[in-house]
Amino acid sequence: MNGKLLLALVLAPATFAQQRSFVACPIVRDTKTVPCFLAEYEGETYYLTIQQDIQAELYPPQLLHEVLVEGTVAPGPRICGGIPLKPVKLSVLPELNLSCNTILPAEPGIEAPPTRRPAGPSTRKAPVAAGGAAPAGGPLRERFTAPFAEREFTVLYDFDSSFLFSRDTRLVNQAAMYAIAARARSVEVTAHRAASLLSNQRVLAENEAIATQRAEKVVDLLRGLGTGPASIKVRIVAEVAKPDGVSDPRNRLVTIRVIP
Amino acid sequence: MSAAAIAVISAALSSAQQAPANNWIQAGSGGTLGAHLEFPTSTGRVGVLLSSGPVDTKDHPFFTPLGSNGRACVTCHQPAYGMSLSAEAARELWRRTNGRDPLFAAIDGSNCPDQPQALEKSHSLLLNRGLIRIFLPVPKNAEFSIEVVSDPPGCNTSPAYGLKSATPMVSVYRRPRMAANLKYVTNPGPPIVLKLGALADKDPATGRPVSMNLMADAREATLTTQAYSAAMGHIQARSISEEQLRRIVEFESQVYVAQVFDRTGGNLVEPGGPAALGPQAMASHRPGVLGDNDYDSVFLLFDMWKKSGGTAQEQFRASVARGADIFMFRQFWLRDATHINSIGLGNPLKRTCATCHNAQMTGQDLGAGWVDLGTTNYPRWTEPPLYSDAQELPVFKIECKTTAQPHPYLGRVIYTTDPGRALISGRCVDVGSIVMQQFRGLSARAPYFSNGSAKNLRELVDYYDRRFDMQLRETEKQDLINFLEVL
Repeated sequence: MNGKLLLALVLAPATFAQQRSFVACPIVRDTKTVPCFLAEYEGETYYLTIQQDIQAELYPPQLLHEVLVEGTVAPGPRICGGIPLKPVKLSVLPELNLSCNTILPAEPGIEAPPTRRPAGPSTRKAPVAAGGAAPAGGPLRERFTAPFAEREFTVLYDFDSSFLFSRDTRLVNQAAMYAIAARARSVEVTAHRAASLLSNQRVLAENEAIATQRAEKVVDLLRGLGTGPASIKVRIVAEVAKPDGVSDPRNRLVTIRVIP
Repeated sequence: MSAAAIAVISAALSSAQQAPANNWIQAGSGGTLGAHLEFPTSTGRVGVLLSSGPVDTKDHPFFTPLGSNGRACVTCHQPAYGMSLSAEAARELWRRTNGRDPLFAAIDGSNCPDQPQALEKSHSLLLNRGLIRIFLPVPKNAEFSIEVVSDPPGCNTSPAYGLKSATPMVSVYRRPRMAANLKYVTNPGPPIVLKLGALADKDPATGRPVSMNLMADAREATLTTQAYSAAMGHIQARSISEEQLRRIVEFESQVYVAQVFDRTGGNLVEPGGPAALGPQAMASHRPGVLGDNDYDSVFLLFDMWKKSGGTAQEQFRASVARGADIFMFRQFWLRDATHINSIGLGNPLKRTCATCHNAQMTGQDLGAGWVDLGTTNYPRWTEPPLYSDAQELPVFKIECKTTAQPHPYLGRVIYTTDPGRALISGRCVDVGSIVMQQFRGLSARAPYFSNGSAKNLRELVDYYDRRFDMQLRETEKQDLINFLEVL
């Protein structure tokens, strides 16, 4: 066994040991500013995120729903009383769980990290159009200029969800604008379904129709934004990649490959 | 009311015999509608501004019966009632006409067309709550089944008009919305709708995205399609010309309504006062401004009224200013509201009234504005409801298919008095979602909410206080009420 392989074998379990993949009720911790969102797993409390706004890349979970947490333990002190996970992917599971209903009061010494949006009205001077920085009445224009190369845009999804949140529609919009600017001869939409390996070795698989639903919504949006329907080719990947408890969130995706 | 104001109204309604004491404009009565009108309300006077000048109502399609039931647009969109209608006005009209006014037309001015029309009880929802019957088919793509649990109005179980009739319809009952300040309501938001994750509906005439803020369920794309549907439905016209549609839209697009005088607060539109008050401010301001911020807020500034003096007027104005601050800055837990908490903001969300009511000058949502606030669905968090809904409104049981995305906070079985947006979209997540309304001219057009479930502004504020556990003190409630009264 060479040295590199040995090192890899030693590091791999350590890396995996830093992964946390579990389903739990979110817990809201109020602070004097915005609330923190936490979750408990095997007797430990993890910090997930704070309240932000729709422009954020990471959205908080929801009370009355369990959340699938897939993250990596990050170094550094606790945040809001929880061990930070970063990066972390949070998926709100669709069915109700009425027991997920805990709001902890603000306590001295527990402070939320800085946030660009306070709990009250926005304090940023540049007004942002509600819903995604789009000028009223027209599509969100992105400026792309020649030369145009083949380019891929990747939309990542919450578990078992085909909903395109604001962060996702911005990406699809970019792809559409690029395809239009590049006069793409082909726009390949490839949709996947995935599974997640939890830290307790349980496997969660997404519903069988989810890849098709993801593709349909992306294609509808691409067409609506002006991508030539004839150029769009759709592929549904039926097989589910074997979950490994590390890269699973990156397998819930749709790729949009724009070929000039 | 001052003599001057009375003179304004008299001049406006030149057909004196058609101008009864309550300023009701009869369809087809003719006369000129003045450019600046003021009408008494429960708290002062509401102002109506026609920014293009006086309008000759004779033969004007907004004021002229176009169909078989004698109604015109003005029947339900009365200037004296904020270009809407109050339940009190409907009751007064019933008394005065013995229920024979076209407002009470069987088609939708009664609980159901097959009920005895001469009886007051057949029109109870219009008389008690100012509600008009809206009948819609279950969408073909519905992700749910719907059944009638109880039906006090009787229309959903009617063999002729109900869910099991030859042309199955769901009858829901809704307040007429203001036909005023419409540049704000129709201003297109972002082309991609946050709440859909998809593109907004388009204007069939131009192909451009629309606001999706018209009607309680956003079913109409534009004022033109709305006018057409209203003519064919509410007015029971057999046809309407493009020219008539154009004139209706032209008229209603230049009507601005807001409160101008308060019995305690005095003149609301005096120089140096709050810049958002009065119909002229509505006409002058530009639409499409996001007001959920601390530098250009939803209803602009009331700071000049903050100084606390000894007179009743000064005290009232200071209360209004405090109410404006509560609206903008008082934080509370916004939770379990579909299309607010469910679109990525998290549940709960520690914010303020202005988070949802963010459109400057109207307090609507700048984007497509449907939200399940809990006014029509049977919630777990407020018992009992404000009104005795079960005794007046129909109750439906909605069951979502297993393949559907369930309602985010009520699950797969929902009891509701009005499925709202779901009757258009067919989606379970939309059950009970209703498009927000304008905050202007409120004193002229009680009751509030789409189902008229808040008889007055006190009940409206109490509802929010209970729904979101705002823990408002009595003085804060009164401040909010005073603030809403002057808008």
